[in-house]
Amino acid sequence: MSYRIGVDIGGTFTDFTVARESGELLLWKQDSTPDDPGRAVVQGLAAVAEQLDTDVEGLLGETELFVHGTTVATNMLIQRNGPTIGLLCTEGFRDVLYFRDGYKPERFNMHLPHPRELVDRWLRIGVPGRFDPTGEEVAPLGEDEVRAAAAQFREAGVRAVAVAFLWSMLYPRHEQRAAAILREELPGVDVICSADVLPEIREWERTSATAMSAYVMPKIREYLTALTAQLEGGGLASPLLIMQINGGCARVPEILARPVNILASGPAAAPAAALHFAGSVGDNLISVDMGGTSLDVCLIEDGRAAMSREIQVEGQPIGVSAVDVHSIGAGGGSIGWVDAGDALRVGPRSAGANPGPACYDQGGTEPTVTDANVVLGYLNPDAFLGGRRRLRDDLSRAAVDEFVGGPLGLSTVEAAAGIVRVVNANMVGAIRAVSVDRGVDPRRFTLVCAGGAGGLHAAELARELGIEKVFVPLEAGVFCSFGMTVTDVRHDHVTALHQVTDTIDLDAVNATIAEMEGAARAELLEEGFTEDEITLEREVDARYPGQVHEITVPVPSTPRLGPDDIATLVGSFHEQHLAQFAYNRTTMPIECLHWRVAAIGTGAAAARPDAAAEAGDVQPMRTTEAYSTASGEVEETPIYDVAALGVGASVRGPAIVAAPTTTIVLHEGDVLERRDADGFLIEVAPAAGAAGGALTGAVSA
Amino acid sequence: MDQVTFSVMMRRLESISLEMTQALERSAWSSIIALCHDFSCVIYDAKGRQLSVHDPIPALVTSLELVVDAIEEGFGDDIADGDIFLCNDPYRGNTHVGDLVISRPVFVEERLMFWLMIKAHHIDVGAFEPASCTAAARDTFQEGLRIPPLKIVAAGTPRLDVLELVLSNVRLRNLVEGDLLAQIGSAERGRRLILEFCEEFGLETVEEYGEEVIAYADRRMGAVIERIPDGSYRGSGWVDSDGYAVKNVPVEVTVEVSGDQVVVDFEGTGAQAEGGFNSSVATTLTAGRIPFLFYADPDIPHNQGCFEHIEVRAPKGTIANPEYPASTSCATVVPAAMFHDAINKALAAAVPEMVHAGTARCSNVPQFFGVDEETGEEWAMMIFNNCGGSGAVKEADGWPLLESVAAMGGQKALPIEQMELLYPVQVEEMEIEPDSMGFGTTIGGFGVRFTIRPLKGSMHCITFGDGTANPPHGAVGGTPAIGGGQFVEEAASGRRTYVSASGHVLVARGDTWTGVATGGGGYGSPLERDAERVRREVRDGVIGRAAATEIFGLVIGEGDDPALDAAATRARRAELASRARPLVEPTEPEAATWVEENLRPGDLYLENPTVD
Repeated sequence: MSYRIGVDIGGTFTDFTVARESGELLLWKQDSTPDDPGRAVVQGLAAVAEQLDTDVEGLLGETELFVHGTTVATNMLIQRNGPTIGLLCTEGFRDVLYFRDGYKPERFNMHLPHPRELVDRWLRIGVPGRFDPTGEEVAPLGEDEVRAAAAQFREAGVRAVAVAFLWSMLYPRHEQRAAAILREELPGVDVICSADVLPEIREWERTSATAMSAYVMPKIREYLTALTAQLEGGGLASPLLIMQINGGCARVPEILARPVNILASGPAAAPAAALHFAGSVGDNLISVDMGGTSLDVCLIEDGRAAMSREIQVEGQPIGVSAVDVHSIGAGGGSIGWVDAGDALRVGPRSAGANPGPACYDQGGTEPTVTDANVVLGYLNPDAFLGGRRRLRDDLSRAAVDEFVGGPLGLSTVEAAAGIVRVVNANMVGAIRAVSVDRGVDPRRFTLVCAGGAGGLHAAELARELGIEKVFVPLEAGVFCSFGMTVTDVRHDHVTALHQVTDTIDLDAVNATIAEMEGAARAELLEEGFTEDEITLEREVDARYPGQVHEITVPVPSTPRLGPDDIATLVGSFHEQHLAQFAYNRTTMPIECLHWRVAAIGTGAAAARPDAAAEAGDVQPMRTTEAYSTASGEVEETPIYDVAALGVGASVRGPAIVAAPTTTIVLHEGDVLERRDADGFLIEVAPAAGAAGGALTGAVSA
Repeated sequence: MDQVTFSVMMRRLESISLEMTQALERSAWSSIIALCHDFSCVIYDAKGRQLSVHDPIPALVTSLELVVDAIEEGFGDDIADGDIFLCNDPYRGNTHVGDLVISRPVFVEERLMFWLMIKAHHIDVGAFEPASCTAAARDTFQEGLRIPPLKIVAAGTPRLDVLELVLSNVRLRNLVEGDLLAQIGSAERGRRLILEFCEEFGLETVEEYGEEVIAYADRRMGAVIERIPDGSYRGSGWVDSDGYAVKNVPVEVTVEVSGDQVVVDFEGTGAQAEGGFNSSVATTLTAGRIPFLFYADPDIPHNQGCFEHIEVRAPKGTIANPEYPASTSCATVVPAAMFHDAINKALAAAVPEMVHAGTARCSNVPQFFGVDEETGEEWAMMIFNNCGGSGAVKEADGWPLLESVAAMGGQKALPIEQMELLYPVQVEEMEIEPDSMGFGTTIGGFGVRFTIRPLKGSMHCITFGDGTANPPHGAVGGTPAIGGGQFVEEAASGRRTYVSASGHVLVARGDTWTGVATGGGGYGSPLERDAERVRREVRDGVIGRAAATEIFGLVIGEGDDPALDAAATRARRAELASRARPLVEPTEPEAATWVEENLRPGDLYLENPTVD
C-alpha cells in the first residue's frame, strides 16, 4: 500500500485527502488549531491512520507524496498580526509601499481607506547607493548608513528586514552587501533581498513581494521547521511539499527562500483537481469553487491554468507568477438586499458561518443565497450536510420577505428566485472576467462546478454563459485538498535579457534559456523526478519597440532556437496582440524582455477507483415542491439519491440530485449522466430563445 | 423591467467599459496612457446620453454628449456602420485639445444603438510648446492641432490620408499613432461585446434598460439633492493666474438648490484669460456636475440620469465660458479644479457631512520634453508621480497622488524604474513631504517631494498647475494645505529658481527639477484628531513636532518612538479650543507662504516663465 496525502489548513477546518493506490479516497475534516496549526495536522493524521487500520508511522512510512497547503501566512496578512519588520531601501524612496501605483480605485468613494503598508514609515529607512539602468554604479552603498539602520531596527525589535533597492533585479550587488551587514549586525533576524524574491522591473511590486515575504517569514520558518521535524520523526519517507500560488508545490527550503509563494495558495490547487476529475471531458475547463462566502474561478485552457502576475493579497501586490484565481464575494452565505435605488443586490456582505443563513437559526435575519435555495425547494431542510443540520425554512421565508420581497413587492418565491438570478449574474461576471475579458470564448469550455454550493447553480451559470457541458465532481466539497494530491512540483525561473527580434543575439538567448533549463532540470532530478517526468515550458514577455506593456507569448521548444523559431515567436505575438487588443502592427519587430522557464515535475498519475455499480432502473426517492425556471411556478419535482445512480445512469431535468457534499439542480431540458466514480456530466439545455434568452426569467416586478 | 434583469444588464455594461479600459491600457504606447491611465472609456446610447462607465476619470466623462452632438451636427445622416470618428475640438464639445476622442457608433440590425466614446490624453498635439497642456497658449491656434469631428475610419476603411494629416502635425508621431490604434482597438473590443449583449437580451429589452437605468440614477441623484436644504449658496476662490500677468483670477459660484434640482451659476467669475487657463463649455459643464457625483453613494451609476438634476450657467467672456478663439489648453484642471472647490466651499455650511476640503489643483504635473543628445531621439513624458493629495472629508483622511477633483486618483504614477528605462533621466527622490497637507480631525492626503535630473541633454519642463499662491482650503475648521511649488536647482552653484504653479523652464543637463506638491486640505478641528494617531504620524515623520504641538495640541516625549502624555494633551487641547477657525480657510487670496519660506538668499522666483 502507498498513499498520497493532501492537507489543506483553513480557518475552520483542516481538510485531509488520502488517496490510496487504488484511487480510493479517504476524506477527513479536523478542527483547525490556529494557535499551533501543526497540531491539527498531527491530530488529523492520527485519526486518518486509525481509519486505515494503521498508526501514524505506518501511514507516513508508506506515503509517497505529502502536499501541504496552509493559510497560516495569508491569515497573518488578513489579520495583520505579524511581527514588526523593517524595510531597507534606496535613499529618497522610502514611500514606495505607501504610494503604490498612485491609483485610487472606487473613484467616487471619498471614504475608501488607504491600504495600510506592512512596514511603518519610521522603520522604512533609505540608504545611499545607486545603479543606473545600464549597470553603472552612480553612488556606492552607504555602509555606515546600513549599520545605523540596523541599530534602529534593533532598537525597534524587528524580527525581519526586507531589502529592496532600485534596479537590484539587474544589479543585486548593493542588496547582497547590505544584507550581509544586516545579518552580521542583527543575528537571528531574517533578512530577505528583493532580487531573490522577484527579480523583475517595477519597484512597487518587487518591494511589496519582499516585504510580504519578510512579514510572514519568522512564523512560517518556525511552523514549517517544526512540522518537518514532526513528520520526519513520524517516519515520513518523502519530502514535505508545500502548495504554492503558482499551482505547483515545492520543498521547504525553496519556500523559505521566497515565502510570498505560499500566500493565497490554497485555491491554486483547483486546476489540478479540475483536470483530474474532468480531464476525460476535455482540457478546456473553467473551474468554479463556490463555498460559504466566496467564489473562486479559474480558467484552464489546453490543460494549463491561466497565470497572472498582478494578483494582490490584502491590497498588496505579490508580483510573482500565480494561478489566476478570480475571487468574488458570492457564496451560500452572501446576503440579498435592496439598495437605495430599489435594485436587488446580492453580496459582497456574507453571513459567514456565524450567524450564518437565516435558516441556520443562529440569529441571522437577512436572506442569504442558501435561504433563497431553501425557499425555492432546492435544498432539503432535513438532509442538509447529510442531515447533521436541520434547516428552518420558515426563517428563510421570513428573511426573504422582509428584506427583498416586501420592499420590491414580490412574492416570497419571486424574491428568492431573484436573489438566485442576481448571484448567478455576479458569478457569470466573475467567469467572464477570466474568460471573455481575456479574449477567450467560454462557450467552448466545460464548467467544473465544485464547492458545497456549486451544484445548485451549475446548470444555470452554464446556460447564461452559453456553455453546453458542466461537470460536477462527486466529492465537490473537498476540491482543493484533493487537488494537492494530484498537483505537480513546479519551479519558475526568469531572466531579464533585452533583445529585439530583427537584431536578435541568438547565442545570448540560447545561453540564457539553457542556463535556466539546466538549473531547473537539475533541481527536479535532485528532488527525485526522472527525465520523463520533467516538463519545461518557455515563455517570453514581449512588446512592440516603443510600447510599454508586454504580453507573454510561448517560445518554441526547439533545443537551440534558430531564425525560424524567432519567426514563429513573432507570428504568435502579432496574432495574440490582435486577439487581445483588436489591432496589431505587423511591420514591426518584437522587443523581448523577460525570458521565463517553468519546470514541472509530474508524478505518476493518480489511479482511479473502480466505477460504481452499473446503471439500473433509475427511480426518484420522492418528489418535492421546487421552483421551475421554465414556468416561474413551484412545481412537483423528483429528487434522486446519488447512490442510486450507477455509471451511465441519466436523469432529465427538472430534477434534484442529492449527493453527500453537494446538491445538483437540473432545470427543464438539462440531462445529467453519471460518468464514472468521479462525478456527473450535465448536458445543459440551451437558453430559451426569444427576447432576453437565458436571462429572461419568470420574475416580474 | 424586472429588477433582476436590470441588475444583470447594469453589471454587464460596466464590465464592457472595464474591458475596453483594460485593452487600451495594456496596448497603448505613450506612458501617459499605458502607465498613467489618463483616459476613460464610456458607453453612450443612441440619443447621446451617458449610460455606463467603469471607474473613470471624472473630467474625461460627464460631458461627452456634446461630442456626440457635434458629430451628428457635422455628419447628419452620413453616419454608418463601420465609421469611427476622431475629435478634439474644444469649440465642438470637447474638453481641451490634448484629449483625443475616438467615437464609434454601434449599429445593431442596421439601427444605431450606442456610441462608444474613448477619450485619451495624448502626449503631444502639436502645440507651439512641446506639451499638450500649456498655460502660455494665447489662443486656440497655439495650443495644437484642432480636429473637428471627422472620420478616421469610414465604413470600415481606415482613412490613411487623414491619419497622416494628424501625425504630420504632432511630435512623437509613432507614439500618437500607436495610441490612436489602441483607442480604435479598444472601441472594436467594446463593439463586439455590445453586439453579444444585444443578441443576448434583444434590442427591445436593451432599449428598455437604457431608459430604466437613467431613471434609476435620476431617482437616486434626486434623493441626494433633496438632502441639501433649499437655498442659495455662494462660494469663491482664486485661480493663481491667467497664464500671464493677471493674478488671482476670481472664481465665483452660486449654487441654487430647490427640491431635487440645482443650478450652478458662475456669474461673477473673472474675465477670460490671456493664456490657456480658460474652461471650455464641456469642462465647465463637468465642473458643475462632478462635485455632486461625490456627494452621492459611490455605487450610483454615473449616467445621464444624475446630470438631469444639475444645470450649469456661465456668463460669456469669463474664464468659465470664453469667447472664441481663447485657449482652453489646460481646461480640465485649470480653472476647473477651482470650480469644484468653490462649489464645495459654497455648500460647507449647509451640508458639512457631504463636502470635502480643498484638493490639489494639478500641483504638480510636469510635462518633460527633451532630445537625447546621444541618439538624437525626441522623448516626452507627462507624469503623475508628483501630484498632490485630496481634501479630507468627515471621517476619512485624503489620499495622496490624486491630482485634482477632476481626476481623483484615476491616473497612475510611473514606476521609477520604468521612467529611467524609457527616458534619459535619473529620479533622485520621491517621498512624502511632511506637513504638506491641511490639518484637521481628518487630514488631507500627503503631498510629495519629487526630484529629477536629465542625463542626456537639457530637458524642458512645462507645468500648468494652480494653487502655489492659493492653496487647497481647509473645511469645517480644518486648516489649508501648503500650496507647494517647484524649483530648478543648478548643480554647480546650488542656486534655485522657484517657479509659479505654471510655467516653462529649461533644466540643463546635470541640474535638477524639484516639485513639492501640496497635500489636500484638512477637515474639522485638529484638536479632535485621535491623539495616538497623531503620535504615530509624528513618529513616522509625516507631521512635524511643531505642528503636533501647536495645531493638534499634542504633548509627547522625545526619541524615535515618542510616548504620548495623554493627560497633558487633554489639558493643552482644552486650552487651544478657544481658538476659532473659519468654516472655510483661507478667506483671502494669496494665502500660501511656502515659496517665501523656502526662498534662500540668491534664489530666484519667476512668475509664468517662458522659454524662447
